[in-house]
Amino acid sequence: MSSTLRPGVLPVAVIVAAAIVATAVAPVPIAFGAGDVEAGRRKAGPCAACHGADGNSTNPAVPSLAGQPTFYTHWQLVLFRDGRRRDPQMSPFGANLTDADMADLAAYYAAQRPPRPSTASDADTSTAGQRLAQVHHCASCHASELAGPRYTPHLAGQSYAYLVKQLREFKAGTRGELDGATMTSAAQPLTEQEIEILARFYANLPVAPATPGGRP
Amino acid sequence: MKVLQRTAIIFAVVFALAAGALWLGPVAAQQAPPAPPAWQQGRPAELANSPLAPVPLPPAPTPAAQIPVSKVKLPPGFNITVWADGMHNARQMAWGSQGTLFVGTRVAGNVYAVVERGGRREVKVIAKGLTQPNGMAFKDGALYVATIPNIVKYENIEANLDNPPAPKVVYVFPPDAHHNWRFLIWGPDGKLYFNMGAPCNICLPPDTHANISRVNPDGTGFEYVAFGVRNSIGADFHPVTKELYFTNHGRDWAGDDFPNDTLHHAPKKGLHFGYPYCHQGDTIDPDFGRGRSCSEFAPPLLKLGPHIAPVGTRFYSGNQFPPEYRNRLFIAQKGSWNRSQKLGYRVMTVDLKPGQPPKYEVFAEGCHEGNTVLCRPTYIEWMPDGSMLLSDDYHGAIYHISYKR
Repeated sequence: MSSTLRPGVLPVAVIVAAAIVATAVAPVPIAFGAGDVEAGRRKAGPCAACHGADGNSTNPAVPSLAGQPTFYTHWQLVLFRDGRRRDPQMSPFGANLTDADMADLAAYYAAQRPPRPSTASDADTSTAGQRLAQVHHCASCHASELAGPRYTPHLAGQSYAYLVKQLREFKAGTRGELDGATMTSAAQPLTEQEIEILARFYANLPVAPATPGGRP
Repeated sequence: MKVLQRTAIIFAVVFALAAGALWLGPVAAQQAPPAPPAWQQGRPAELANSPLAPVPLPPAPTPAAQIPVSKVKLPPGFNITVWADGMHNARQMAWGSQGTLFVGTRVAGNVYAVVERGGRREVKVIAKGLTQPNGMAFKDGALYVATIPNIVKYENIEANLDNPPAPKVVYVFPPDAHHNWRFLIWGPDGKLYFNMGAPCNICLPPDTHANISRVNPDGTGFEYVAFGVRNSIGADFHPVTKELYFTNHGRDWAGDDFPNDTLHHAPKKGLHFGYPYCHQGDTIDPDFGRGRSCSEFAPPLLKLGPHIAPVGTRFYSGNQFPPEYRNRLFIAQKGSWNRSQKLGYRVMTVDLKPGQPPKYEVFAEGCHEGNTVLCRPTYIEWMPDGSMLLSDDYHGAIYHISYKR
């Protein structure tokens, strides 16, 4: 004998559970093997020339690292070390880092404060950007309320030029990524204009204060 | 400007716009809306604000001293230690013929070889950059590795661990990635068995997917073995009957308690186990199962719990554990992500006695406290002395579980 879920409608229990889940604060997981912020500060000396002393880059070609989740920064260093992500300037820096170095650097940068974006927000771009972000499910991974995936970077306030470059490379299939081809697939349908709108939208998005769960 | 010229310009502009709209219109209409990330596919609108997401893999293995192995509770007489660490994302294991343990991974892309040198256990990386090399099997001096795109083999590998040969491609799979990281096991027929998972959470899969299949070690003779299997990454053959048993991951985003992950028995080739039409043997899918009945499909042997993520699935036929464990099935459960209260994160046993319902019992638990993940039991391999190796792909370590009277 088989039972049937009511077509197209989930049981009430699911909806109630969803409400509970949506309002619950995501638990902060234990970071086994977490790095040391002070050790990371010492080790970040060579990084400052490009990424800024406190992880806030003044070079539009170089991303800011301040406030990025530890998992994201650490995983990108792993990808650089393994050659899965390549950049002529960055790759040599990844080559000789140990797991402990990466953990310390990631912890240091996660603890730094990102600045407010300096470019004034353009209302038209903001609306178009918001719509594109919705259509392309950016908030699925890049939003603040999610407990995971915690290896996804915050985009708000990031360098416009850097974001454009990453989206172009994801679309071209030349940007190595961690988990299958999630960003590569997501970038395929984007036109060059849409890439620029999305990058401008996120670059101008105000950085929310650090709260449990983080920011977009 | 003359009226005629202005009119002509207006016509030209309108025509260009209209032509542009005509050209873009059908193209825009034909483009499917962009898909969400794979783990969100099939999530209904009511759950759009759910914070549930897969548990992220830490970027590096956890040093042994920081792994909370003392939290794992076992039956009386059993003991657990960290056997080897430093293997980022350690997954399926397979013994070589000269005491080497080969260990696969998923996202990390590495293959490890664990050897004993002068009383010390050493971990070597024998391959890097592979696409989710989860499946490990060894025969006649060669290590077979199942990745998402293919099965490859490293010949004469144990004599060349420091300078492994280039892998030879044995078999090439169709290109779908989701649920196509694979287990690899030898059948009693000498063939390699593996999964070809549904490339989605819930969908009508292509005929080539949602199954368990097999191939000869030289890549010839591909055959489908079991159909309607959404995502199986653990299977084994019964030590006495030599029949196939496998575990399966049910769909996501249908609630905390639905559907169960399941254990199945495939005594013969060609059975259909229900996906996507029927879940857990008794519930028709509202979208794909219309007009179908669960009685059309082979039901599961056992419901294992919702979203508990069964991975390592192995029968015990050793001599170290007490005699009641002989021929019992061990199931390592990585643990849930698509559930508001975590479940799984333990090793269970299933006692299959003919004529009796399966008996499902806890073997090792303690890998979660509330919604805090402490460890994730992944794959099982047996030591020659009958003790257990249990991999943990979250900590990148292998535990040793042994019994002393």
